[in-house]
Amino acid sequence: MQVADGPASSDADVYDVAIIGGGVNGTGVARDLALRGLKVVLFERNDLAFGASGNSSGMIHGGVRYLSSAPHVTEQSCRDSGYIQHIAPHLLFRMPFLMPVKSSRQARVMFELIDAYFRAYDDYQPLKHGQPHCRLDPGELSRLEPGLRGSIVGGISFDEWGIDGARLCVLNALDAILHGGRVHVHTTVERVARTPGEDESGGARYLVEARDRTTQERIRACARVVVNATGAWTTITAALGGLPQERVRVRPGKGIHVFIDRRVTNYGIVSETIDGRQIFLYPWQNMSVIGTTDDDYYGDLDDVHATSEEVRYLVQGVARVFPSVRAARAIGTWAGVRPTLYAYGPNEDALSREHEVVDHAGDGAPGVYSMVGGKLASYRIFAQELSDLVARREFESAVPCSTHIRPLPGGESVPDALGMAERYAMTPVAVRRVVYRHGAIASRILERTARRPAEREVICPCEPVMEAEVRHVVREELACTVDDVARRTRLGLGACGGMRCAARCGQIVAEERGLSPSQGLVMAREFLVRQARTRVVAMGPEQARQEALALAHTRASLGET
Amino acid sequence: MSGVLVVGGGIAGTAAALAAARAGARVTLLDGGTGATTLSTGALDDVPWAQTAQTPALPRPPPATATRAVLEALDAYAVPDAGAGIATTAGVLRPARGHDLALLDLRPFASGRLGVVRCDRPDWDAAALARAWGAGFTPLEATVLRHVDERLLPAADFAARHDDEARLGWLAERLRAALSRARARFDALLLPPSLGVERERARALSARVGLPCGEAAGLPGGPSGLRFERARDRALAAAQVEHLRGRATAVEREGSPWRVALAEGTALEATAVVLAAGGLVGGGLAYTPGDAAEASVLPPGSREPFHLALRAPGVRLGAHGRPLELPGSLFGIPPESLAWPFTADALMDRVGALVDDDGRAAPGLYLAGEMVADAHRTWLRALESGLRAGSSAARDALSATAERSPSAFAAPSSRP
Repeated sequence: MQVADGPASSDADVYDVAIIGGGVNGTGVARDLALRGLKVVLFERNDLAFGASGNSSGMIHGGVRYLSSAPHVTEQSCRDSGYIQHIAPHLLFRMPFLMPVKSSRQARVMFELIDAYFRAYDDYQPLKHGQPHCRLDPGELSRLEPGLRGSIVGGISFDEWGIDGARLCVLNALDAILHGGRVHVHTTVERVARTPGEDESGGARYLVEARDRTTQERIRACARVVVNATGAWTTITAALGGLPQERVRVRPGKGIHVFIDRRVTNYGIVSETIDGRQIFLYPWQNMSVIGTTDDDYYGDLDDVHATSEEVRYLVQGVARVFPSVRAARAIGTWAGVRPTLYAYGPNEDALSREHEVVDHAGDGAPGVYSMVGGKLASYRIFAQELSDLVARREFESAVPCSTHIRPLPGGESVPDALGMAERYAMTPVAVRRVVYRHGAIASRILERTARRPAEREVICPCEPVMEAEVRHVVREELACTVDDVARRTRLGLGACGGMRCAARCGQIVAEERGLSPSQGLVMAREFLVRQARTRVVAMGPEQARQEALALAHTRASLGET
Repeated sequence: MSGVLVVGGGIAGTAAALAAARAGARVTLLDGGTGATTLSTGALDDVPWAQTAQTPALPRPPPATATRAVLEALDAYAVPDAGAGIATTAGVLRPARGHDLALLDLRPFASGRLGVVRCDRPDWDAAALARAWGAGFTPLEATVLRHVDERLLPAADFAARHDDEARLGWLAERLRAALSRARARFDALLLPPSLGVERERARALSARVGLPCGEAAGLPGGPSGLRFERARDRALAAAQVEHLRGRATAVEREGSPWRVALAEGTALEATAVVLAAGGLVGGGLAYTPGDAAEASVLPPGSREPFHLALRAPGVRLGAHGRPLELPGSLFGIPPESLAWPFTADALMDRVGALVDDDGRAAPGLYLAGEMVADAHRTWLRALESGLRAGSSAARDALSATAERSPSAFAAPSSRP
């Protein structure tokens, strides 16, 4: 570890804990420690939930796949799913799945085995308020999902919960801020160094130097503890602090999802790919999602995108049981890199998704911790494990974890959307979506529109998103660009690909941030280019026409890139 | 049998038909419905406008006589020698080579004060647009909507309401009232895309208000495209071009005349054929990725992913001046080279039929508009390529008529 030159803390703010990484692990830890009364600062290089957290399957699942190998993981996952439903009731939605069993020589045995497996899973379902599984005959299956094809001997249903992962990160970060924390987005940490004259009695030991990537302003922060929660970037971050990289190796696993413009099924459907991996087609918010792949990835982590081969692999896999998915219109892809624990040899799926806290005291850096691995569904437990350790060992704090009891911002209660729609004379669909995203805070956003009727304007008709919500996320939720607004509100991520809303959203963001209108249009164009890039890999014959139209449209109204 | 058969009713096909008729040929135009031209926002470009915006000082040649003749026949567009300045509802001020007459050209008001008329419609936030367009633009409080439903009407349906003389008078009155209430003086008024469908009503409105009034360019799919269709229908009728509705499925030649098969099973014959059925947007070109066919495991293999949507033996597709090649991957052409935004001149934006300088793909077969490879996908370039193809086709048709019966040559030339 390097030693900072000069009196480090003179122009730096002093914190208890500096957290690097604004994914679900980083924001989860920030919230946990802030709720325990510690002063935290968080640095995120891109935007909150930019990496794997915002590009995950969007599920708080019960860890059914660990049932045979590590049932305690399943139990823990299910219990935590219950906690998350308690702290963010507005953000979760039920996702029932169907698992058809295709006929084969061992089909009857397979069916019995699957049935028995899920019977065991049923024991944990009450922890997460899930329904027990059902055994279905082929007739019942095709009544529930008429699009299922092929010779199917039967199937089962099981129950999971969906969530918007990006919003989960944002809410955790907001709660950390509400409890005295500081969050810097679009700010990259360039150096972590020991402060000279280190103080073993409890003062700051580390100086974190960061740079705001938009304003180029330098930010310095001193902290007693540094937490590296940078997911797939973990190894890179460790190198910044001069830590041995082999201590925090991750095996980066790229996963992509394909999005279809509408909900094409009522139930999630489990299918198998050509190489025998399990994949899903499931309705998620306003669309259907197919996921996911798992491949080693060693490319640029700031610029991960799906390839057409990956898209075809997924579509072909689902088409084995649900052929009409070929005719569905894909409107985009999400690509993220999981920070899987490092292991050599086994194929990607067999790698554990479990997590590990690495204490760097042995590397000559006491008070530096890395969070390696983890998944969206178990983020809270992972954050609690690390926070317990840090609070006890570094701050001798006996304050217990309360992240499973205290609601996230907006999670105190779920307001009645239909009643609010009537009260504010707005379309119920728009209000329903605001309530989904913001819970109890929705009433504050709608209150804005009562004072400023112009802000009731629906900017993004697909989702829908109204102007007041765009302004709210810029003011209150750290959104700086059109891309950030989209991550928080799903603006422009629907069927029209942002063609109708990006320019207007750019104007609003520019206005809120005191930028020129042309800077707003640049942001809009950057967003459209990013979205186009996620679409073209899933392009079919009809999509090609739409892509050509989108190009003509952008060229006509915003000029070329 | 026609002398010249034009397939496609967009600006390229219309220009081809008018040019051929002007040259004296008997012309039939087969129109398969809305294409890219009807998605025009009303701002006309020759080169993509972002390029013009980067080099505003470059001299711009005035439109050729033949181009002028087409524009006059349509009587719906202006192409000022100095170019035009257009405001768009995306909040941009953009240069344009010309414009739909309903649009307000901002060049004459460079230092003037422009009123942005308030109108409670989803694509029109007057205050925000005025801020985005910058100095000189001020919102003007006025009543433009007469009925509640007009707030959410599609732009073209809303514009159609101003075809009515009385309704236009009502709007003019409201604008005059708004102007007299406003303390400031205005030099011109900007309105959302709303001024008529049958004909543009901007000139009529300006006369009644006593101030230049016009539209800002909106999103594709607004009233400007419908105004084009009406102007085209009038111009074709005046030039005595036979105008048929229908979709061509194949172009074949057995012996002398071309035979164009239609979707409903009939066929048309002509001495020369101009294909101007559009590109990917218009439906003249189609894209089929490598694995679009039903395949249980692997894609069936590589083939050219682009093809003409109608069968035309002998027409070769290409881009960047070269014929298309088979992709080197089972999965087809990689999207990196295929589509925006990976490259500035993506294959999807360049692909089309390879033609010679006259637009000829085979003797007596001409292509125009976005069906042609490597052309800028702009309105005026499509018009020019239509002119080229139309006059070449007319030459072929007339020389064939002259060979067969010299007396028939007299008939077309007696037209105005």
